[in-house]
Amino acid sequence: MEHGFTWLSGFGVYEPIATAVLVSLVVALFAFVVSRRVAGLGQSVDPEDGLTVRNVSEVLVDGMNGLAEGVLGHGYERYVPLLAAFFVYILTCNLLGLIPGFLPPTGHFPMTFGLGLVSFVAYNAYGMKAQGVGGHLKHFLGPVIFIAPLMLIIEIFSHGFRPVSLGIRLFANMDADHKVLGLFTDLTHVVIPVAFYVLGTFVSVVQAFVFTMLTAIYISLAVAHDH
Amino acid sequence: MLVRGKFWGLLVLLLLVAGPAFAEESMGGGGSINHGLIAIAAGMGLGLAALGAALAQGRATAAAMESIGRNPNAADRVFTPLIVGLALMEALALYALVVAIILSGKIPG
Repeated sequence: MEHGFTWLSGFGVYEPIATAVLVSLVVALFAFVVSRRVAGLGQSVDPEDGLTVRNVSEVLVDGMNGLAEGVLGHGYERYVPLLAAFFVYILTCNLLGLIPGFLPPTGHFPMTFGLGLVSFVAYNAYGMKAQGVGGHLKHFLGPVIFIAPLMLIIEIFSHGFRPVSLGIRLFANMDADHKVLGLFTDLTHVVIPVAFYVLGTFVSVVQAFVFTMLTAIYISLAVAHDH
Repeated sequence: MLVRGKFWGLLVLLLLVAGPAFAEESMGGGGSINHGLIAIAAGMGLGLAALGAALAQGRATAAAMESIGRNPNAADRVFTPLIVGLALMEALALYALVVAIILSGKIPG
């Protein structure tokens, strides 16, 4: 079952990368437009009516701050840019797959595995910055020194599986969802695919949210120390 | 208990029947039982994973429904952890889907 026509099929095997670059450009354009609109506002606190760029960005910032504060407690501000970048980027990638003629870049396992690796490097780097390299690695040894070899193996497997699981979860959700949408649009051409569009939108938002929340939880586990 | 015995008996019977049935097909030129076994493994693995995921998600959603029923004001605070839990359980079923896709790619023809 081939995909049929896509707008960026001219790139051949590099199509996911081209779509990902397009998503980056769209997100950068959105950020630029928001910064222009918000620049001259001063201390205005009245929200505008309707669906404006400023309202969308305020909802995003509020949501991301709430998520980071809920998971990370105090000191959450420094992690919000990374988490918000993950959420906005993955959400836009997922939603782009719903537009006819686009493949979602996150339906390509090397792409989602790359995102998982970025998350893995990020939470290890934050852990090392917060507790020192030795302090972070001591987490791997567990609470008691007697079971350290066993705990080391368990922790290495558990940590090593995290980027893979993040990548596979996002990839399998987006790929299966896209294929199901394509299949049912081939079977019944009108009306019924709307239900699958609703499912696709829901899955896209939930998967972006779950990826971001899991990254926040891993960061909170790495940075947690009783101070 | 009697129902469970019947279920497993039926399953074993089905597997015993399915073996020769796949060997007789002339798909791929020759009827080897291996391709049939791979096909059964892919299908059954995915089905079992979906069964496990559905049972677990049903229990999680039932607990969430009950807690919302007891305390309707807490609906927003229950909803987010529920969605995260459902996505994590879904991911386990999706690992099985990935394995099933890999396995079904190993069947020639």
